[in-house]
Amino acid sequence: MSETSLVLLQQVINGLTLGSIYALIAIGYTMVYGIIGMINFAHGEVYMIGAYVGLLVITALGLLGITSVPVILLLTLAVCILVTSVFGWTLERVAYRPLRGNPRLVALISAIGMSIFLQNYVQIGQGARDVAMQPLVSGGWRFGPANGFQVYLSYMQVLIAVTTVLFMTLLTLFIARSRMGRACRACAQDLDMANLLGIDTDRVISLTFVLGAGLAAVAGVLVGLYYGLINPFIGFIAGIKAFTAAVLGGIGSIPGAMLGGLVLGLAESFTSAYLSTEYKDVVAFLLLVFVLLFRPTGLLGKPDVEKV
Amino acid sequence: MILSTRSLKTMLLGALALSPLAQAEDAIKIAVVGPITGPVAQYGEMQMIGAKMAIEQINAQGGVIGKQLEYMPMDDVCEPKQAVAVANQVVNDGIKFVVGHLCSGSTQPASDIYDDEGVVMITPASTNPSITQRGLKMVFRTIGTDDQQGPVAGKYIAEHIKPKQMAIIHDKQQYGQGIAEEVKKTVEAAGVNVVLFEGVNKGQTDFSALITKLKQANVDFVYYGGYHPELGLILRQSKEQGFDAGFMGPEGVGNKAISEIAGPASEGLLVTLPADFSTNPANADLVKAFKDKGEDPSGPFVMPSYAAVQVIADAIKEVGAPDAEKVAEAMHKGTYETPIGKISFKENGDLSEFEFVVFTWHADGSKTPAQ
Repeated sequence: MSETSLVLLQQVINGLTLGSIYALIAIGYTMVYGIIGMINFAHGEVYMIGAYVGLLVITALGLLGITSVPVILLLTLAVCILVTSVFGWTLERVAYRPLRGNPRLVALISAIGMSIFLQNYVQIGQGARDVAMQPLVSGGWRFGPANGFQVYLSYMQVLIAVTTVLFMTLLTLFIARSRMGRACRACAQDLDMANLLGIDTDRVISLTFVLGAGLAAVAGVLVGLYYGLINPFIGFIAGIKAFTAAVLGGIGSIPGAMLGGLVLGLAESFTSAYLSTEYKDVVAFLLLVFVLLFRPTGLLGKPDVEKV
Repeated sequence: MILSTRSLKTMLLGALALSPLAQAEDAIKIAVVGPITGPVAQYGEMQMIGAKMAIEQINAQGGVIGKQLEYMPMDDVCEPKQAVAVANQVVNDGIKFVVGHLCSGSTQPASDIYDDEGVVMITPASTNPSITQRGLKMVFRTIGTDDQQGPVAGKYIAEHIKPKQMAIIHDKQQYGQGIAEEVKKTVEAAGVNVVLFEGVNKGQTDFSALITKLKQANVDFVYYGGYHPELGLILRQSKEQGFDAGFMGPEGVGNKAISEIAGPASEGLLVTLPADFSTNPANADLVKAFKDKGEDPSGPFVMPSYAAVQVIADAIKEVGAPDAEKVAEAMHKGTYETPIGKISFKENGDLSEFEFVVFTWHADGSKTPAQ
């Protein structure tokens, strides 16, 4: 392969890694929107909490003397999903359920309030400074000419991609096959009607928040391990990016969120590579504007269904 | 408007002074403003311990003109918006002396307020040249500027590193971009080939695309203008991708946290810092005082902060009253013996002389003078 195509390949790897993480967070937005038609603005904070819990668990496991990387990873993911699920569930109970039936703006404001609360809560508990995480998985594969440009694919990048694909598959199977999944789809189509037909919609909505939070936690742990730097404010920018990804792919559509995340990640990576890093956010958001102009429902969004 | 805000304020204060309500306050308040929280709070801490130590020692010797100094720490998180809010609070609380702010982006908007309201401000850390280039009378600094620091870095690169293809990256902030431009000017004048000059976003975490680009362009040396969180990540991701160029940064990256973030990738990083005043034998007693309290006097902003408080105290003594405008006038004329050496100020409030030195950073967070 020529050097240009190797560089291109490297940039695709960079973009897909970033995109996988956006996609994991974007699912939480899209699921909540799909079912209750609201944007959960505290979702980015749940992701941030996932990263912090991950750091605490990894440190604790280290103190306990556990050194096997797969064990640490599985335990960390399990604990993080559990803890953030509780956060997701509580979030819905505190900030959404009491306000259900009110105009959407009310719930939106309470979600923003929740987001500020969570940010400050972590800031007080953990300090406002950056916390560094040591890499758990290091190393990777290199290929390309020995004296020229070598493509590098780290184990961590593979881990991110594999984990993302795994959790997406699980989620898709859950939605498509399980009883609760069918209830979710019914609620997404028509919440009131589903309620009339005997589906416990409150439970479905809680489940949506819990699932979204769990996936955000996975993203949080992966980001913490990959980049190695977390602070109480990472939820904001990640939330905005993931929200963009969700809208880009078609908000309310789960495959859309995956696609949106990957497209956004690739767009950022290519802008940095072939234009300038300064413009990467500009291009990402321009892309969003154009998609919305020409395909207002997003890439995979269904034609507009009137929400109740 | 015929009356400037300042003269209006003076009149109001004058009127207040006549009223029996306005009793002379016992303590002279000194606001120390910097990031106590937020991603660069480490630097705020250097500033706080330096200023606090000076205030405590001056108070222990009986204070200034029979009054004690009062330490008033305030947090601007290094955010320009917050800096303006804090500056207004300082003015409203009637505080007349400020040691701060720390980040150039915060110092600049705050300094306008202080100058308008007749508050003496000494920044022990902001190095952007434009802060003192706007004819402000109340604004000083006890640190060098980017147009001194940039050339030191640039000259070192041109003479010792001699890179074939160099890249300069900055964080698009006033401080980072300012110093990056100074470095670019110096190295280009010396004939170094700068193939890339590019900004990244503050708070960005993924630099993989940029690093791939640097690798492809065969860049063998990178200068980064900005703070440690971003450079730490760039170093770590460079090492991962197998991009093994040399790196250099300004004092904004010279912090132990960079080694926590980048780990072994921070070994060999070059940093321009103010000379390490804590190794100067003349400061031995002071260094011991810091160590007795369990504090680290070697941070780049500790001694400049100490010096800032001391200059304020000495100038108040000269004037004989805590009158901000007269104190500022005295400071422009005086020469002061401080832990950062014998200092005097230029007309614009900059130090007449200040020395930056190149250090090599190590993976354990320590530093040694570069060869």
